[in-house]
Amino acid sequence: MEKKIDRILIANRGVPAVRIMHTCRDRKIPTTAVYSDPDRLAHHVFMADAAVHIGEAPPVESYLNMDKMVDAALRSGSDAIHPGWGFLAENEAFAQKVIDAGLTWIGPSPEVIRMMGDKIQAKIIAQKANVPTIPGVSNVTDPSQISKWMDEEKVQFPIMIKASAGGGGKGMVKVENSGQIASGFAQARSEAKKSFGDETVLVEKYIERGRHIEVQIVADRHGNVVHLFERECTIQRRNQKIIEEAPSPTLDEGLRQELCSTAARLMQEIGYATAGTVEFIFDSATRKFYFLEVNTRLQVEHGITELITGLDIVGIMIDVAEGRKLPFTQADIHPNRWALEVRLNAEDPKTFSPSFGPVTRLQVPMGPNVRVASGVYEGADIPPYYDSLFMLLMSAGADRKDAIRVMDRSLGRNLRIEGVRTLQPLLLSIIRHPAFIEGDFSTRFIEEHMDELISMFREKSSEDEVLKIARYVAEISALGPQKWM
Amino acid sequence: MSDLIFVKPGMSAREIVLAVRSLDGVCLTSVGMRDAGQSDFKNRHRIYDLKTLAPFYNGMGLFSAETHGGARWHVGVMNRRESPFEEGELLRGLMPNVLQQTLIRETNLFGYRPYPRNVIEHVVSRVDIDVWRCFSFLNDVRNMRTVAEVVMKRGRLFEPTISFTTSDWATNEYYLSVVKDIVALCGGTDEIVLCVKDMAGVGDVTRIGNLIDAIKQAYPEMVLNYHRHITDGLAIPAFISAARAGAAIFDVEEDSLVRFYGHSPILAVQAIFEESGIRVHIDREQAGRAVQKVREWIGAYEWAESPFKGFDHTVTQHRMPGGAFPSSFEQADKGEFLHLMPAILKVMSLYNRIVKYFDVTPGSQITWVTCSGIVNRYSKERGDAGVRHVTGLLMKFVEEKDQDLGAMEQHEQEELLQLFRTAPGDFRNLLLGSYGKLPVGWPADWVYQSTFGDEWEARMTERKDLSPLDLLKDDDMERLRRELTETIGRVPTEEEFILFLMHPKDAVAFIEFREKYGESPLVLPTTVWRSGLKRPGDRVDFELWGKPYSIEFVSVGAEHDGIIHVVMKVNNKTRVYAVETPRAKKAETRMAKGVNHIGAPINGNIWRIGNPERGPLKAGDIVHKGEEVINLEAMKMENAVLAPFDAQITEVCVRLNETVREGQLLFVIEKV
Repeated sequence: MEKKIDRILIANRGVPAVRIMHTCRDRKIPTTAVYSDPDRLAHHVFMADAAVHIGEAPPVESYLNMDKMVDAALRSGSDAIHPGWGFLAENEAFAQKVIDAGLTWIGPSPEVIRMMGDKIQAKIIAQKANVPTIPGVSNVTDPSQISKWMDEEKVQFPIMIKASAGGGGKGMVKVENSGQIASGFAQARSEAKKSFGDETVLVEKYIERGRHIEVQIVADRHGNVVHLFERECTIQRRNQKIIEEAPSPTLDEGLRQELCSTAARLMQEIGYATAGTVEFIFDSATRKFYFLEVNTRLQVEHGITELITGLDIVGIMIDVAEGRKLPFTQADIHPNRWALEVRLNAEDPKTFSPSFGPVTRLQVPMGPNVRVASGVYEGADIPPYYDSLFMLLMSAGADRKDAIRVMDRSLGRNLRIEGVRTLQPLLLSIIRHPAFIEGDFSTRFIEEHMDELISMFREKSSEDEVLKIARYVAEISALGPQKWM
Repeated sequence: MSDLIFVKPGMSAREIVLAVRSLDGVCLTSVGMRDAGQSDFKNRHRIYDLKTLAPFYNGMGLFSAETHGGARWHVGVMNRRESPFEEGELLRGLMPNVLQQTLIRETNLFGYRPYPRNVIEHVVSRVDIDVWRCFSFLNDVRNMRTVAEVVMKRGRLFEPTISFTTSDWATNEYYLSVVKDIVALCGGTDEIVLCVKDMAGVGDVTRIGNLIDAIKQAYPEMVLNYHRHITDGLAIPAFISAARAGAAIFDVEEDSLVRFYGHSPILAVQAIFEESGIRVHIDREQAGRAVQKVREWIGAYEWAESPFKGFDHTVTQHRMPGGAFPSSFEQADKGEFLHLMPAILKVMSLYNRIVKYFDVTPGSQITWVTCSGIVNRYSKERGDAGVRHVTGLLMKFVEEKDQDLGAMEQHEQEELLQLFRTAPGDFRNLLLGSYGKLPVGWPADWVYQSTFGDEWEARMTERKDLSPLDLLKDDDMERLRRELTETIGRVPTEEEFILFLMHPKDAVAFIEFREKYGESPLVLPTTVWRSGLKRPGDRVDFELWGKPYSIEFVSVGAEHDGIIHVVMKVNNKTRVYAVETPRAKKAETRMAKGVNHIGAPINGNIWRIGNPERGPLKAGDIVHKGEEVINLEAMKMENAVLAPFDAQITEVCVRLNETVREGQLLFVIEKV
């Protein structure tokens, strides 16, 4: 049953909203943006064909408010909602509300979201499907359960306490010793409640020096499941990915096939439709992979898969939502490039302390093999209430070396952001680090090399230097000769 | 033209000395890039302007160009925000034919205190200079040893210098004894140039010829350089006298730079030598172009010129050197005691007969601070009458009674025994031998009594007869390097570290300035550097790292709450700069410092004060080590702040839901 979509409301802001609007524009589908008070003049608002104000700054008042979202869609004459990533993207209740309002939900079914959203249940399903999983204990309501489980299953520290409903590094706390169990438990629960409205947590063994590899899946409502190969997202800070690449430099061809077909099998099993991701942790020491979770949404890093396959995943999601069949089979997918993505967060590159305020100057990289996904324009304000990610920078090349070289050029020579501090210097240090270039790293790469990475920061450019001179001229022009002269 | 170039960087010291010896006639050192500016322009000449002379120097046939050292180093760091290292490198590129010369204060290097041997070695071996003119304000040749060793070992030319003054004790025998020590230190006369430094310009025409002749008689092969300030107005005749007696190298500067305290004009010197039948090795035409070039920029430095103009023949009595003259008058002007200057100069002329050394850095500063201090004290306590009284007292003591304390009245004796009681620390150090031996012996005992009071005898036993080189313990270089690293928050370059070794506080300010304003001091023309751009459309064009840039002034707004907005175009792109005036209201954010302060680990929002177990915390509550005391939220992540030790909260400095900055003070606590 095919149903054409005539107008899409994008229930999101910033980078994901802008990304989805690009595809909508390609396909001449009008869009409606939503915005909170501080986002009144945001980039996504002006990208859209119409925009609806949905409330005050706190997410619960605006981007997490389901009723306002559905109401905005109906009022603006939209017949579909794309949730982007984050906010309500993996909220089954919201998906249900959208469907109940007679709108098309561009995403997996509420049942699948619920099933996979519950980490505990997801793990059980994975086990049933013969997908390897990490030792752990679920539904923890009291810290003593954690100690008991560790004793019984002889699990060593460190362990990870995480929100059952979680993702994106929120509600995740690493615990190194028994003294930290209680506080870590409390923090994970509180963050879980704040971010996802659900304080259920689970505990797992933490795999030291693990690598994070995930498989992109697209599936239609006719039972066709195709994987678009893997991405490696091992470079993380505080459990949030900051550099991703496709393919993974870790896997050999045999492991790649095994991992990807395992992921596709699991998704087939649960009757998945639209785009989604199966995440694994890969233990380089034993060369084993374990199921981590299924992300029932479009992911931040989907762009690099698009670069290596030439497909438009958002476009596929719209097709699937309209009831169409996938226009390709597994045999048609031939990645022929290497792609890299870095996340530009508005944060101090040394302390990761958030930085907000206006982006006073923005010069984005251009030139061959670069893709930029920006959630801001020059002059836009980065408010303190939401995610610090404001731009994605992607590069592609015939092989990994090429892709790194293009990224080096883009980050090092072309990109200029003034007004807020960003991860730019850190990202550049990482892609220039010999271990990164060798492909020899784990999820702890940043913490292990932080001092070294910081020491690689200072690279002067005449662009920066001339601004210092201009500031001097401005000050002296305003103030006249100075005493110290 | 190239036959004019008779010495070049890269030649050995012996080759350079030989080249000067075999010259028919005399040659010149241009002090246009250093001492000219130091004497009359407070060292404010910027490399931006000075470098325009370099192409002329390169083909002029100079013996050397003094480009470095003295106070130029310190003023560069402090006031021009230029590093002597970048100046040197720039000039190397522009005048590769020219020997670059420095002026170094033996153990005091480019600073104002004696440095231990390891610092001297570290600095001297890393400064790229060809000719090292090295003087001691005490003529204590022992103090030159380390500099001499390092310079000669590097194959650079060492130019030991005798400080010259006129006095009953400053005889040829005295100077020849100093030269003897120098020759012994340097292993003969074949690898050095000897400089006679007449830093105040006090030697009369006959005296100078006589001294040069005496040295040449004793050391016929010695190559002699005469360095002569012009303050008394008699420098040029003294040059003729010195040249006839055998001096080979003379210090000059561009005619257009000459004022009253510096050196003789190059074109005039060339002319008078030629007229006197003495050949001068210089391309007059090139020299003339450099003189002309100066006129293009010297107008931008009127503000830096000494307001006290005119020659001063009384310099032969008070002996304040050219370099110190304008700055002393400037201090007097700022300190509102300009009217006391005649008395101070008089007291200086008497003082230097009581405590005998040479008035050149740091001696000149010690003399100035001590004497101006005495006169100011009398002026404050007793007005003009007091000033007249103290000059009279000293005149009587020195001129009438020949410094015989017993011949003075009882109350006068008592007064003299108080004279130096408030003298500066450097004066005390000088008396105790920290700088080395005084040239003709220690001052009389009453000076010690006057300076140190009842402890004078005990303090005299601390007096050292050894050179500071033998007394000072090596500095802990790694500790100093760490200190600088911590202060500036990164590893300093070797050059930054050397600046720090010389002038710690000013070097840090310099580094911070350059981090903030980049290469402004190097690329901006002097009028823009000093006053900025004024009218819409005014612009400054320059090259930076091989690319063209342009900064254009668009408009400047009115001042509001201490902020002025300046609109400028930087390479055609409009930018607005908010400039804080001295009236800017500093948003008073208290920052955490010290162990009793708990600061915010990141920028964020305070969403909980206290913790779920015990609820909100308030002043007076006791917290335990590791207990969560506050929680910050930023970008949806929670950040617990824990008590660093068992403590009582004395103050809660933030409110719930307040947005705080990284490092902002959250709690004041007290250990329990």
